Amino acid sequence: MIRNKKKLSIFLAIICLPSLIISSPDWLEINGISPCWPVIYLLPLSLAYSPWVSALFAILLGIYIDSFTVGDVSYIPSLFLLSLFWSQYELHNKKIELFLNIGLMSIFGTAVVGISLWVQKIILYSTLRNKWFHSWSIYVLIAEIIITGLVAPFFSSWLLFTYKKNN
Amino acid sequence: MIKTRRKIGFHLLLKSRFWLILLFGALLFGIRWTKGAGYLDFYSVLLEPILPGTAQREWIQQGEKIEKTIRLKLLEEDNIRLRRALSLQEFNIDRRISAAVIARSSNSWWQQLEINKGAKDGILKGQTVIGPGGLIGLIDNTTLLTSRVRLLTDPGHKIGALIDRTQRHGVLTGMGTNRPKLIFLNKNSLAKIGDAVITSPASTVLPPNLIIGIVQFVDEKALPSPYAIVQLTASPEAIDWVQVLKNND
Repeated sequence: MIRNKKKLSIFLAIICLPSLIISSPDWLEINGISPCWPVIYLLPLSLAYSPWVSALFAILLGIYIDSFTVGDVSYIPSLFLLSLFWSQYELHNKKIELFLNIGLMSIFGTAVVGISLWVQKIILYSTLRNKWFHSWSIYVLIAEIIITGLVAPFFSSWLLFTYKKNN
Repeated sequence: MIKTRRKIGFHLLLKSRFWLILLFGALLFGIRWTKGAGYLDFYSVLLEPILPGTAQREWIQQGEKIEKTIRLKLLEEDNIRLRRALSLQEFNIDRRISAAVIARSSNSWWQQLEINKGAKDGILKGQTVIGPGGLIGLIDNTTLLTSRVRLLTDPGHKIGALIDRTQRHGVLTGMGTNRPKLIFLNKNSLAKIGDAVITSPASTVLPPNLIIGIVQFVDEKALPSPYAIVQLTASPEAIDWVQVLKNND
C-alpha cells in the first residue's frame, strides 16, 4: 500500500511537471516569469537519495525538460552539478523539516541553473558584448530566483515529506 | 442763374438711371473681384439641407475600401507574376492556417509559443508564423497535433530583414527582450527612428514584405557595424491566435 502511494506520488509528479512548465499559470509568475520547476523537483529527490541516484535523476530530468524548450541550450549540466552538491548533505537519514532551508537551497539552485543557461547562451550565440541581452538575463535571473524561492518551500517540502514517509 | 441751373442739373441726375447703372456696375465689379464668393456662399447655404449625409459618406468609404482591396489583389497577382519571372520562391499568403496559442513562454529564458495545429494540418518546420501586426516567429518543431513557434525575440534567433525606406539589409537577432536587434550589413545604415522593418523581398526563406516592426533606436557608431533596436508590431505576449503561412511547394 505504502509502495503504491509512493509510486502514485511519483507518477503524479511526472504528470504535473510538464503541465506546469507548459501552462505556466499566471498566479505563479512574476512579470511573466515562472518558477524554475526542475530545481523544485530535483531538490527533494537529491536530498532524499544518494549522489548516484540523484545524479542519474538529474540527467533524466534535464533530458525531459530540454524536450520542452527551443534552442540548443540545456538544463543538464547545471542540474547534474546541483544533484551532486545537494546529495552531499546526506540528509536522507536525518530530519529535515527545515522550511526555510529548502527555500534558500532552491534560491541557490535557481541561480546556478540561470547562470548556466546564461553562459551557454553567451557561448552558443556569441552574445558576450550584447548589453541588451545581459540586462534582460539579469532581470530574468532575479525574477526567477524570487519566485522559485517563494514557491519551492511549499512544493519541495511536500515532495520531500512524501518521499520520507514512504521510505 | 447759375445756382438755379446747378439745382436743376443735380435733380435731373437723381431722376435719371445713372445711379442704377453705377450700382449695377459696382456689383459686377465686386463679383468679378471676389470671383463670385458671395454667390457661392449663398449657394452653399441654400444647399445645406440637402447635402449628402453620413450614410453617403459611409458608402463612399466602403467604395474606397472595395477599390483598395481590388487594387491590393491586382498588385499581389502582379507581384507573384514578377517573382515567378525572377525565379524567386513563391509564397501565396492565401494559404494560411489559423491556430490558437495553447501555451506561451515569452518572458523567460526561452521565447516560444505552443499552437494547436501540427503535422496533421500540414504544418512543417521553418514555416512562417504571423499574428495581428506582423511576423512573430518561425515553426521550430511539430508534433502530430501541436507545433512549437520560436519567437523572433528568442536569443540566438536570426532572420534577414530590410529597412523599407532605405532598402538596407540587416540581420534581426533576438535578445530576449521584446525588442530584437537589427544588425546592419552596411557601414551606413541611414536608418531613422520610425522606419518600418520588413522581410526582404529577395528572401527565399521568408515571405517577402511582411511587416516585422518599427525602428526605436539607432546606433550608427557601433562597432563592427551599426545596429537598430526594433519594436515588434505584433505582441507575442498578447496574441491568442496566429496564422501559419504555407509554402506553395
